[in-house]
Amino acid sequence: MATIGADLVRQMAAGDREAFAVFYDRYAPVVFPLILRIVRERADASDVLQEVFWEAWRDAPAYDVTRGSPEAWMVTRARTRAIDRIRATRRRGETFVAPLDEGIAAAPRASAPDAAERAADRGTVMSALDRLPDVQREVIELAYYAGLTQTEIAERLKQPLGTVKTRIRLGLERLREVVKASS
Amino acid sequence: MNHEPYDTLAATYAVGALDGQERVDFERHLAGGCDVCETTLRDSAEALAALARARPPMIPPPAVKEELMRRIATTTPAQRGAPRPRRLVWAAGTVAAAIAAAAFTGTYVATKYEAKLGVMARESAELRARVEREEAALREQVAVYRNAADLLRDPQAQVVTLRGLGPSPEATGRVIWHPVNGGYVFVANLPAAPPGKAYELWTIGDAAPQPAGLFQVDASGRAAHRIAPVEGGKPVKVFAVTLETEAGVPQPQGPMVLASSK
Repeated sequence: MATIGADLVRQMAAGDREAFAVFYDRYAPVVFPLILRIVRERADASDVLQEVFWEAWRDAPAYDVTRGSPEAWMVTRARTRAIDRIRATRRRGETFVAPLDEGIAAAPRASAPDAAERAADRGTVMSALDRLPDVQREVIELAYYAGLTQTEIAERLKQPLGTVKTRIRLGLERLREVVKASS
Repeated sequence: MNHEPYDTLAATYAVGALDGQERVDFERHLAGGCDVCETTLRDSAEALAALARARPPMIPPPAVKEELMRRIATTTPAQRGAPRPRRLVWAAGTVAAAIAAAAFTGTYVATKYEAKLGVMARESAELRARVEREEAALREQVAVYRNAADLLRDPQAQVVTLRGLGPSPEATGRVIWHPVNGGYVFVANLPAAPPGKAYELWTIGDAAPQPAGLFQVDASGRAAHRIAPVEGGKPVKVFAVTLETEAGVPQPQGPMVLASSK
């Protein structure tokens, strides 16, 4: 799977627009729900999605397959841009964005009619985050999906910074193990 | 030396939560070349990508792909550094053109900033924070213009003209309004609000005027302000702007400086 993706990026780097269209069809449905989960407004999510794929087209020549799969390349970029967007909005103190806690609570869960079917073969990873101890899952969600820094997480949870860091490290270690075991 | 502290820093960095001096130190450590940390970061990125893939896929709005295909149609690999302007096939009059022009400028400036970021990141935490703030401000500005431009493409969106009244006859304004999604107001030639004061926007339907947010104008008398949708999607007949105290008021009290005609 990753090889097809890497080939597509190589073709994009050579200016192949059809390869870009295929690349988009393949990865947009994966990164769009992630972006939407972070920014929460569909119009904003569409905007971020466009930015992310534009950058992929622009930066395709710099992609290096030894540094990660195209999927990780896109997911990392999508997450970063989505967080940029909510940090900017938060700084401006806009009121039309739901408060953070609500946002996490309202994070979309599987709802498509065939989600259960898909979950069957994705089950292992799907529940990877849920399988972490609550305190570890919480810090990873606050960092990765809500864009809080370690200092902000420590303040919010009223925990020492060192505790927060340890929880992140342990949680991420376990996540890597689960994903490795299932692939 | 003991590598363990770096394992913790790498994990925190991988979820984007490392900040302050530690982030600067860790990036220096990475720049010096560390296979252990690079592996941690790579495996973490793959694990987080697997989490994203495990969620049910969603088809994004088709307009996103259409727009992208239009944007890339005119670039070749050699030209890629400078994004070309979007084509204004949907341009709806001068307001759209003005907004779009501002968006291009914003995108161009933001792109230039990104190129610089790589170099600056190593210099100092303070400098980094400043660049991030500026970049975020630019992104935010671009976002407002893009959202407004997206809104204009919706056939349900209306453009309403506001005229300057009494104290500021020169002022002009346009509201792009969507009955479900809300909209944006863009004003020009409005004098800066006196200290302790702010402009407040009102939406007026059949009942009493509803407050729709406070804003300030920039040095050139311009402002762009997001308007949240009216509760229950009730129709808005008039948009008006008054000068109020900085904290805002629930009902208009100050002089009206801009209003749409009924």
